[in-house]
Amino acid sequence: MEKRSIIPMSEKYWQYLSDESKMLGEAESISFPESEEEVLKIVAKMRKDNIPITVQGGKTGIAGCAVPLRGHILNLSNMTQVKAFIKTDTGDRLLKVSPGITLLELKKTINKLKDKEELFWPPDPTEASATVGGIVSCDAKGICSYLYGDTRNYIEQLRVVQSDGTILEVSHEEMDKYIGGEGMLGILTEITLRLQPKPKEIWGISFFFENKHDVLCFAQELSKKEQNITGACVAAIEYMDRATIDIIQERKEMMTKLQELPDVDTEICAMVYIEIHGNEEESVEQIAEILMELAEMHNSNADKAWAVSGDIEIEKMRAFRHAAAESTNLLIEKTRQEEPSITKLSTDMCIESESFKTIVTKYEEDLKKEGLKACIFGHIYGNHLHVNILPQNDKEYKKGHALIEKWAKETALKKGKIVTEHGVGKLKKNIFLKTASREIINKILVLKNRYDPTRMWNPDNMIEE
Amino acid sequence: MIKIAVCIKQVPAYSEGEMDPKTGVLLRGGLTSVLNIYDLPAIETALRIKEEKGGEVDVFTMGPPKASDVIREAYAMGVDRGYLLSDRHFSGADVLATSYTLMQGITSVSHYDLILCGKQTTDGDTGQVSGALAKWLNIPYINWVTKIVKLEKDSIIIEQMMENEEVTIKTKYPCLVSVEQSIFIPRIPSLKLKIAAKKKEIKVLSLSEMQDQNKNHYGLRGSATKVEKIFPPTKVKKRPIVHKTGIEAASDIFKIIQQIK
Repeated sequence: MEKRSIIPMSEKYWQYLSDESKMLGEAESISFPESEEEVLKIVAKMRKDNIPITVQGGKTGIAGCAVPLRGHILNLSNMTQVKAFIKTDTGDRLLKVSPGITLLELKKTINKLKDKEELFWPPDPTEASATVGGIVSCDAKGICSYLYGDTRNYIEQLRVVQSDGTILEVSHEEMDKYIGGEGMLGILTEITLRLQPKPKEIWGISFFFENKHDVLCFAQELSKKEQNITGACVAAIEYMDRATIDIIQERKEMMTKLQELPDVDTEICAMVYIEIHGNEEESVEQIAEILMELAEMHNSNADKAWAVSGDIEIEKMRAFRHAAAESTNLLIEKTRQEEPSITKLSTDMCIESESFKTIVTKYEEDLKKEGLKACIFGHIYGNHLHVNILPQNDKEYKKGHALIEKWAKETALKKGKIVTEHGVGKLKKNIFLKTASREIINKILVLKNRYDPTRMWNPDNMIEE
Repeated sequence: MIKIAVCIKQVPAYSEGEMDPKTGVLLRGGLTSVLNIYDLPAIETALRIKEEKGGEVDVFTMGPPKASDVIREAYAMGVDRGYLLSDRHFSGADVLATSYTLMQGITSVSHYDLILCGKQTTDGDTGQVSGALAKWLNIPYINWVTKIVKLEKDSIIIEQMMENEEVTIKTKYPCLVSVEQSIFIPRIPSLKLKIAAKKKEIKVLSLSEMQDQNKNHYGLRGSATKVEKIFPPTKVKKRPIVHKTGIEAASDIFKIIQQIK
């Protein structure tokens, strides 16, 4: 791969015209800088020639943020430096990294840090090949945000290359516009992460249900009351319906990690995966017992519930949950080969004003009415579900698109979030612009005019020009 | 009713462990440990046999007190009893001393119809302990087992995968069977059993519980092999492909080994 240069686009670089959204774009040139200095040189050249830049990380996004529609592609995947590990006087553990480091590389790096205690970085979205820059830009959170909260809690500082070629150091207090900003205001060239002590005990439990009513009531109970006790907390509560389980299991052969897991019984209609984190083993067990009782009350067989602990076993459980998104992406890609108009068609909405049961039932009824196939998985807390519509042809794709637009309007009316952690990008722009309040859109435009008046960054993302 | 013993081992989870340069023994302190992945299908096989025919499944492991963690993991899968063979005289054992200790431990507890082992461990990696244990117990030994064909009252019919052929073998109990990883996908521990596992008793067997209490037969002292030298393998950058007959290749490999030594 050529480095340190602006390379004209050619067939060789076709893979950089798409990401996991399965959109396909076009560009005039591409570069793979390894340092901030190189980024500055490329930006200066593009500014001089008036060429807009689309920034890429791991290309794992599903809203098409990293898909170029014109101009230059600035791919940051070679900016993988770990610059410093800092222990502050106040006891904070900070890690300065370049934006192209992947989640997988970051985990390995943190495991090798010489520190008295084991550390980790709490944001943990599905794709281990996602870059830290991409995670920050999309405000991706992962399954344990139930306990650890927003990604911004774990970022101390940012370094940003601005459209005028200057560098801005952004402190924790001022970084909100960049977190989830989808690269619309500048290029992140350095991110200081705030690491946390790793819990000594982590349990992963999967409860299985034969009856839809039971699982939905169980999920509702879970989201209503906290099961935390001193020394341990519930960190993740995830839902997967039967269609999701089937899609994952159909792809087992291609996913080594999943081959170590037995098949889920055919009579199971849905599962709930719960993670408990803590430093006291007894406290973790106490929560597990409370959850077991609750699950049994809703007719889940505790003898058949999977329960694991330890990094390696937990990784297997997470691999299963993470495979939900990966498997649907592969399925969309397969359909797309027959029908090129099809792209990823999924929701990232969050409605807290209604019950989990009401929301899932509504999604299922609407899908049935439209005759569309789909799988539903996601975070029970906050009713943040990812409905993945699986169209077989262009007609179904259009129907699916219209259905998501309808759900977005309904969510907006109920004061829910339309886009929570996947980004708006290009794929959800229309829905976002139709449903977001004028106030939010104006705020974005004001920031854009201030930080990117010449429209250098990520053209066609998020807002209409 | 069939009485089954399964031999299991706690091994380092990752390959970053260091060896004592003097004794050649793996330094296990501070390493994350797990139940040997090849032992899981052996436990699964035992549990399936129990579920089909009734009976009891016990596990045996040798190691420091911390090794009791793998017994608890086996309990969470459905194992009935666990025995930890732990004594300072047992440490540093090679294949010979390990298999001897296991034989002493197993025979001190009960008479088992079937003894199951995984194909190898991920640390020692010899794949020899099961065969040696069968020899000490003086019972039939079948390894590379990929299928349990039939369980009869006094015998078991199994399929063994040889290099180029599948062999069906019938053998009487007691016998020792070493299973391949592919025999079954091991079950995930059950929540109910995992919670119960914490409270379940683990019987510790030390030298004083063994019939043979001669400490020279155990651990480093009872080992027939002594590590002469430990060194990391030389990193070879070039990997040329050469085409030779089996005899020529074996002769060349032998020469290379001699040079390294």
